[in-house]
Amino acid sequence: MNFAAPLLLSLKLSSVTTLLLIVLGVPFAYWLVFTRFRWKFLVESVVALPLVLPPTVLGFYLLMVIGANSFVGQWYEAIFNKPLAFSFQGLVLGSFLYSLPFAVQPIQTAFSSVDKKLLEASWSLGRSNVYTFFRVILPLSRHGIITGCVLSFAHTLGEFGVILMIGGNVPGITRVASVAIYDEVQALNYGSANMYAAILLSFSFIILAAVYFINRRFVRTL
Amino acid sequence: MLSINLNKIWNDFELDVAFDIPRGRITALFGPSGAGKSSILRLISGLEMAEDGFISNGNETWFDKAKGINLHPQQRSVGFVFQDYALFPHMTVEKNVAYGIREKWRMKEIIDLIEIAGLTGYERHYPAQLSGGQKQRVSLIRAIARKPDILLLDEPFSALDWQTRIQLQEDVKSIIKQFNVTTMYVTHDVTEVYKLANNVIVMESGKEVKRGTPEEVFLGKRLSTRVQVTGKVVGIEHDSIMASVTILHADQFFKTLIDTEELKSLKLRVGDDVIVGVKSSDVILFKI
Repeated sequence: MNFAAPLLLSLKLSSVTTLLLIVLGVPFAYWLVFTRFRWKFLVESVVALPLVLPPTVLGFYLLMVIGANSFVGQWYEAIFNKPLAFSFQGLVLGSFLYSLPFAVQPIQTAFSSVDKKLLEASWSLGRSNVYTFFRVILPLSRHGIITGCVLSFAHTLGEFGVILMIGGNVPGITRVASVAIYDEVQALNYGSANMYAAILLSFSFIILAAVYFINRRFVRTL
Repeated sequence: MLSINLNKIWNDFELDVAFDIPRGRITALFGPSGAGKSSILRLISGLEMAEDGFISNGNETWFDKAKGINLHPQQRSVGFVFQDYALFPHMTVEKNVAYGIREKWRMKEIIDLIEIAGLTGYERHYPAQLSGGQKQRVSLIRAIARKPDILLLDEPFSALDWQTRIQLQEDVKSIIKQFNVTTMYVTHDVTEVYKLANNVIVMESGKEVKRGTPEEVFLGKRLSTRVQVTGKVVGIEHDSIMASVTILHADQFFKTLIDTEELKSLKLRVGDDVIVGVKSSDVILFKI
């Protein structure tokens, strides 16, 4: 069995998920900060759910929603001619939802900590909301976006429960490093399990240290 | 001419004002904190919306409740100078000043503006590297760079120490004069009103209580004088009958004698703003 395959799959899953989270998470966080929608607190609660929910709960309901017998599952299969559950695309969907708070919350906090006076200054200088967003809000929130990126990446890398529920353990397709560890332990291959575990541990530590380092530098230069 | 007639209620506070601001003049909104002065500027600039009334600038209607008109801040030709500067911390002086300019060919004007503000050599500095007075100068020329019809200044000097304040007041006056822009500014400092304003509107609890030139509003008929200057008391030396008061006017100091009893009744202290009136009967004139 290819030792590197689960690690590469983990990296691929984390990269795709992080990219999606940032592309969709930035406008979503902006909406959360500036909307006057009265039920916003409910949306925020749903986003934060993965922080407190056992991954198996999220995995179970996702399986119900995207499974072969569900409406979404059948619709997906009719269009793409393959099932969504137990596929890489299914894992991306699960990882996206599971890591959503890790991307959205730091970005949301960064956006809301931009001084309102700066936005008002921009508007009174004749600049639109879009221009203000790209020239003022986004540059002043870069630490939040970097934090969101890295946390999403690290969290997806370490994901286990949701993946096992909706992806199973299909070599080369859904067998990511965290699942491989479980698999190796089941087969009493402690050496391999240790290799995967040590790589994941080192990798997670390095990226977290990088975030703290970047954030410290950012605070200094401000 | 800027005409406003506005009404807005916040919990237990009601703002209700109506006045015209003449073109090319500096009008001060004077009054204690919480009188609603800053709110008027925010309503004019469109950062807040009134519940009733209208705002028109010449033939242009910016806000009219009855007609359902409410232009965005971007659509109103205003320059807003904030009390705490509101400079973009991640942009240099040059980038801050250029922020509101859309036309590429006007970019060279930025150099002139920076020079007018006495900031040549600071173009590539960030706001964190500037003093309070310098920051407020950047904020002023950034607002003027957009060539607004109306310049709004919200207590522009209150975050500065008084020496910087006195110098900056002079600079701001000359910059505003140079651009001949209609200006409204908020203050609770009499000296500032005297120094800068052509007209003053006195506000109390959301209502206008007095209006006129600074002389009309503050002096009335209390003094029969011909010459008045404003200044700040920087020293008081007591004697048995008379006291000597040192006053700073612009960058000049002068001393005047005052009856000790009068000093007591005035409760004059160092740091107070005062108006010094000189009676016309005993003035020495020099031809220059």
